[in-house]
Amino acid sequence: MNAVRNIACPNCGGALEVRAAGFSVNLACAYCGSLLDVSRPEVVLIEAHDKAAKGFRLAPGARGTLFDVEWETVGALRRRDLGYSWEEYLLFNPYAGYRWLVLSDREWQFGTMLLDLPEGNDDTVSWRGERFTRDGDASTSETTAVLGEFYWRVRAGDTVEAMLYERGDTVLSREGGGGEVNWTQLVPVEDDVIAQAFGLGRLKAHRAVREPSPSSGSSSSTANDLPTMFGLACAAIVALLLAMVLISGPVERASASIDAPFAATREGVRIGTLTVRRPWQFVTVTARGTDFDNRWVDLDYSLVDRATGQSMDGYGIVEHYSGRDSDGSWTEGSRKGTTLLGRVPRGTYDLYVDASAHGWPSDPSPQISGWSSLPETVTVSIEAETGSLPWGNWWTAAVLLFAFPCIAVWRQYREENGR
Amino acid sequence: MRSAALPYSTCAYCQSLLLRDGLELQDIGKVAVLPPDVSPIQLGTSLRVEGLTLTVVGRVRWGWDNGSWNEWLLDAGDGSERWLGEAMGAFMLTAARADLRELPMIQGFATGGEIAVGARLTVEGITLVAIDRKEARCLGSEGELPFPTLPGRSMTNIDFRGPNREAVSLQRDARGASVWLGYYSDLASLAPANLRTIEGWSIPRELTR
Repeated sequence: MNAVRNIACPNCGGALEVRAAGFSVNLACAYCGSLLDVSRPEVVLIEAHDKAAKGFRLAPGARGTLFDVEWETVGALRRRDLGYSWEEYLLFNPYAGYRWLVLSDREWQFGTMLLDLPEGNDDTVSWRGERFTRDGDASTSETTAVLGEFYWRVRAGDTVEAMLYERGDTVLSREGGGGEVNWTQLVPVEDDVIAQAFGLGRLKAHRAVREPSPSSGSSSSTANDLPTMFGLACAAIVALLLAMVLISGPVERASASIDAPFAATREGVRIGTLTVRRPWQFVTVTARGTDFDNRWVDLDYSLVDRATGQSMDGYGIVEHYSGRDSDGSWTEGSRKGTTLLGRVPRGTYDLYVDASAHGWPSDPSPQISGWSSLPETVTVSIEAETGSLPWGNWWTAAVLLFAFPCIAVWRQYREENGR
Repeated sequence: MRSAALPYSTCAYCQSLLLRDGLELQDIGKVAVLPPDVSPIQLGTSLRVEGLTLTVVGRVRWGWDNGSWNEWLLDAGDGSERWLGEAMGAFMLTAARADLRELPMIQGFATGGEIAVGARLTVEGITLVAIDRKEARCLGSEGELPFPTLPGRSMTNIDFRGPNREAVSLQRDARGASVWLGYYSDLASLAPANLRTIEGWSIPRELTR
């Protein structure tokens, strides 16, 4: 009798084989990734997708002989917990049942589900007369990608609680929650052995050697992802910069200065005219003051479209304070202030500024200023520019892109030094 | 017709379920065609355990919401009723233990009571935990059987697992409740012979005797 049951994916029509007919209940289509119910004679679509999971080292259907038994890869999962990602392959032989291959941090483990359960507590368990000690904390892992067939109702997004116990290089993994707990014994297998068994090229040598392994569980893959993570972050940030430069458009400038009075607002001073030549551009307005101290100047900008009379408004400030206290002398604030006006549509604009100066802790009186006849002002030069780059956005992106790899480095450092 | 004790038999050609009544055979309906599977067991497979030779004489396939499993009826030649459960590539060998129906938890179950997953049951000094509960319906059958396996037959099945492979299975259907005691095993430990030949696969050496 043929061991393979041929079916067609109800979503994409792709021809599929059920390799463990009678056992498999869910199958993720190799062509479109749709999740199918294959537990009954009629194949039912559970969840339609338009992209199959990719990037698995072992493809469903790949066969190899390990420990004197021939195994066929029937399913592949990608799982992750906080910061780590790894792959799990479901192996099947109709005479020997199911086994697992776990690929984590370029290291393979061969997994056998246990029928005789370890006994003990959360820290140590005994199994077949040997003591295993807990490795790491309990963690929740999530299935992120599914390919091929499984004997349970697997789907992306599934989560499971896991705890690892180790003795030498053998790991016992406890997974589950609620009523059903599954124990799996994991033993290391050399990559050469896997590569030879399944006819694969060898995995690249370790760039970062991890000896002794800080957490040699089935679910640790730290060191060697980091260069990739940093590389990707760098590539993304450079790409973002290039994109920003490309879309920023031609540069045009206008500048003038304004004398900001105290206790009053000088309104409607025209700085100049700017033309936005792209459908959208950024406009930055930079204000600079010189030599003032313990003063601040509030600046209200209006970019008025000549065609429509509509105005885009922004707010800026220049400020500088200094003094002396128990810690010595101090200064605060910046005599330069930059305001970014985003999404300025194509058109010709006049930039107007309203400015008012303020003194700290109070406005200067004419007596202090010494020029009773002339009201004191603070001179601020204003420069407006089209085609500017939203540097703030870029820096925010940079921080976000590098935060994750940095946290990973920090976690790894802590794991290596803290335990 | 190997066993006169088993009243029901599925015709391998026409799927008729036959009831043996003395010398008479009565056709009581059609069973469903068994869905294809890659089980290594077939009618005629024999197992050698605890000095007994157990021969597979019948099979019932049960389905539930999240899959299905096989139960293979074993003839030990001693009139006892034994089953080989097959699910997820693992096996459970059990024998009927009518005496355990006296246990309070099982008495409650027999009269329609519920047993939650996680419940503990102590049998002969060993504590077992209920690991799953399934509402199953018959998907088909073959060979000789102790009960009719017509479509629509359903049952409640609760599996208990002990620390060292011990297994207890409770089943409840229209006939009442039954208790099965045994253990989980891989196929090699059952010393099988006459396994089914599956195209594209060779029988591992450890499974040939």
